[in-house]
Amino acid sequence: MEGDKKFRELIDRSFAEEISEGERQLIRDHIRDCDGCKRYVELTARTIRALREFAFTSEPDSNAQVREILVHHAGIMRQHNVQSKIWAAFAVALSMSFVGSALVYQMARRLAVPMHFDTSQVQPGVLIFWLLPSLCSALCLLAAPGENRGIA
Amino acid sequence: MSALPMTLNTTAETETAKIARGLRERDMELLADLVERYQHRLVRYLLYLIGRREYAEDLAQETWVRVLQRGSQYNGRQRFDPWLFAIARNLAIDDLRKKRKAVETASLPNDRDAILLVPSSGPSPFEAAARSQDAMRLAGRLQILAPLYREALLLRFQEDMSLPEIAQVVGAPVTTVSSRIYRGLATLRSAFEEGDSHGG
Repeated sequence: MEGDKKFRELIDRSFAEEISEGERQLIRDHIRDCDGCKRYVELTARTIRALREFAFTSEPDSNAQVREILVHHAGIMRQHNVQSKIWAAFAVALSMSFVGSALVYQMARRLAVPMHFDTSQVQPGVLIFWLLPSLCSALCLLAAPGENRGIA
Repeated sequence: MSALPMTLNTTAETETAKIARGLRERDMELLADLVERYQHRLVRYLLYLIGRREYAEDLAQETWVRVLQRGSQYNGRQRFDPWLFAIARNLAIDDLRKKRKAVETASLPNDRDAILLVPSSGPSPFEAAARSQDAMRLAGRLQILAPLYREALLLRFQEDMSLPEIAQVVGAPVTTVSSRIYRGLATLRSAFEEGDSHGG
């Protein structure tokens, strides 16, 4: 019985994976004299054959439905992609507004002395003529309609 | 004589590389072609995994959306179908766990696969699909067989995947996969053993 158990494990393996020609011959020799294992081989082969005799029919419009869903999702993903690009551009524009304004302010302060301007006038000047316009431009990126908004 | 397998191998590599590139670029034409080629097999796989027709169709759709979203993760070095089935499997397990959590207050075990040890309920889709007397005899057993074993049997004997490929799909060692196949076969074989001993 122990021998049969080992042979049946080998038989199982022969159906599920590759076994060597030597092992195959071993099975052939064994089932010639062992009716129990011969029947085991037949039943296993019959089970696997039966497993292949299931045919599932697809819904006729199943593929078309999936394609439609994919097109819809691709559209949404494209839109998300554009949105995230816009937010990234806005973030860059915003930070550039502040960095640029700081640089312009420093430069204007230095130039104010030789040009006989009051340095207290430089601050509102930079605010009105540099920082506010650049902030408005950055905000325009978000407000502009359409997909491209000049940056896609 | 040895040139033919080599040519086939090269063709297969080109094919998977093409799929990988198309998925990275979100090529809708390629996706439509993949749906045409794999949808039927995907639904069949999910049917074996969860045992319910409508649910399998829904999950198949979700799987394709996931392929569209995460297509860049397919590297094109392996076959496409094990990768596709692995995505479907993860989605199915997550969904089954969510559904069970909704009806059960007790927490589920940490092992993700444990959910696949619970036989499916509801009408059997296998009886309607049986195309022979023998298949009909197996249909009832298939319905009550744990999905883990059903899945292994399908991948091996209907999808003709190798054990390492099945291991890739189910995320388990090859030895685990083979033992699932043997246990599944043993359960189904008993349908014939009992039937024959009763004179059927």
